[in-house]
Amino acid sequence: MSGLSAASPDGPRLSQVPLAGAEAARMAAVRRYDILDTPPDGAFDRVAAMAARLFDVPVASVTIVDADRIWFKAIHGLDGVAQIGRDPGLCGSAILRDDTLVIPDTLSDPAACANPLVTGPLGVRFYAGAPIITSDGHRLGTVNVLDTKPRLITEADTETLADLAAMVLDALELRLSGLRLLRAEQERRKVEEAAREQAERDTEAITAFATTLQRTLLPPALPTVPGLELACHYQTDSPRDVGGDFYDVFPLGGQRWAFFLGDVCGKGAEAAAVTSLTRYTLREAAQHHENPTEVLNALNSALLLDPSIGSRYCTCVFGTLQPAPGGGFTVTLAMGGHPPAFHVQHAEGDDGGLSVEGVRPRGGMLVGALEGARFASHTFHLAPGHGLLLYTDGLTEARLPDGTMLGEEGVAAFLTARTAPDAGRLIEDTIALITGLPAGPGDDVALLALSVPLMPPDGQPATASMTRTLATTPADDTARAGQEH
Amino acid sequence: MTDHLTLTTTHTDGPLAVLDVGGEIDIQTAPALREEALALIAQGHPHLILDLTGVTFCDSSGFNALIGIMRCATAAHGSLTLAAVPDRLLRMLDLTGLSAIMPSYPNTETAMNSHSASTPEPA
Repeated sequence: MSGLSAASPDGPRLSQVPLAGAEAARMAAVRRYDILDTPPDGAFDRVAAMAARLFDVPVASVTIVDADRIWFKAIHGLDGVAQIGRDPGLCGSAILRDDTLVIPDTLSDPAACANPLVTGPLGVRFYAGAPIITSDGHRLGTVNVLDTKPRLITEADTETLADLAAMVLDALELRLSGLRLLRAEQERRKVEEAAREQAERDTEAITAFATTLQRTLLPPALPTVPGLELACHYQTDSPRDVGGDFYDVFPLGGQRWAFFLGDVCGKGAEAAAVTSLTRYTLREAAQHHENPTEVLNALNSALLLDPSIGSRYCTCVFGTLQPAPGGGFTVTLAMGGHPPAFHVQHAEGDDGGLSVEGVRPRGGMLVGALEGARFASHTFHLAPGHGLLLYTDGLTEARLPDGTMLGEEGVAAFLTARTAPDAGRLIEDTIALITGLPAGPGDDVALLALSVPLMPPDGQPATASMTRTLATTPADDTARAGQEH
Repeated sequence: MTDHLTLTTTHTDGPLAVLDVGGEIDIQTAPALREEALALIAQGHPHLILDLTGVTFCDSSGFNALIGIMRCATAAHGSLTLAAVPDRLLRMLDLTGLSAIMPSYPNTETAMNSHSASTPEPA
């Protein structure tokens, strides 16, 4: 133990006060390490314990000097002390110099003798503190050893204390780089989360857009047709897909009305374009052609002509309504590759049973698939007390619990057993049929129902008991019937 | 969609070709069927018979492919004839009126007989 070192007699320690600019930069460095008021950490506790052991002193500590206090990151030998004031003399002075401050006897040191640690119950007589200095020269705090009796330490001991302070800085650097990694990771997560939220908002916007578009492809509401009740239902398999199912009811002038329902092959934007073209073409063609099959011919030509649409096509049922002399309407239905409509009425006799009959003019082909496609029509009387149900194949192709398809027969059987020839009931009951299936429809479904009330609004009883289906063959002269083109 | 589509040309005779189709025709496999059939048409066999005996599934994509093939065959002054059509496809052909222009037969043999009876070989 050679080279004993005493307190530097020339050090005017009391007069050393931090310069405002340097102190601000030092505090910025302290904050950078984000160590103040953190819970105990084994790495720093070990340095304090090691210092106490190496110097054989009762108390050793690792401090960080804040703007107005000295905070203990680790303390060995004293319980319950978290921080002390930034009084000059000991740590408060050690922080102001680059070398290790050694005070062999505090009572003989003009600055230290007034420090509360010296004058207080602890009665510190020996103090040595090495500053913790960052690579850019800022002193964050100190590693200190304290004793209650005066002592001398060697230069080697002083260097050991400086090395311990350097180890504390290493631990602080390691901790800071870990913190930075963690913050970068949190930042990355935040960015990802923001991107995910943005994507969700985009999806919602697209869904809302598709839903809006979908609504524009459907009539906003069915019109009021005197003497006729109308009801409809439309559901898409997915809220985002713009479905290819469509329907409409519109006036033709005079007392005539037209209606249609169909299904464009495919889904999505391309199908929506065909759906739109189909609806406008049908509305337009209906003004120029009295015969429904000619309306479908016009649609066929329009779909084949449109170069952007190519091989897209649809199945469609198009019909006209003309008030019939005895009540109700004369309906002419043209079919283009579409499943049969159901004509619903009370069966003959008084048992209240229903007759559900498929209206299927033979030979109606897909619309828009082939040049010279042929369409078929059928004319019949929708008498008071009768209903007519149009649907897309999402209904007939819905799966039963055993995996087989519902089919026309299944729908007809269900309606026969359950419904009434009333537009509202027909739609209500058909929806009940679909929603009662375990797998749901699995495809878009459009339903349109028309019915003629038994009692007209003026209270005159209609000739309901006389209703019958007319005109299934061209020979029938009651109405223009069964035309095939 | 576990089954692959198998396509085998089993017979060619002048403008006629018979293509055996097996497996599932869906949105994934329908393009292959279409390409193979169009290739046969391009190779000088515009009269196509598709034998669908081995088809276990055919959805609307397959149906679309058949329409596309028929359009191409017709454009090449040929025809599309189907043999051993699965029930569901047969119902779709009936419903859409295509059965009138895309004839189907119980098997390839009757399809070929009917074809040679109705289509005179070019001189």
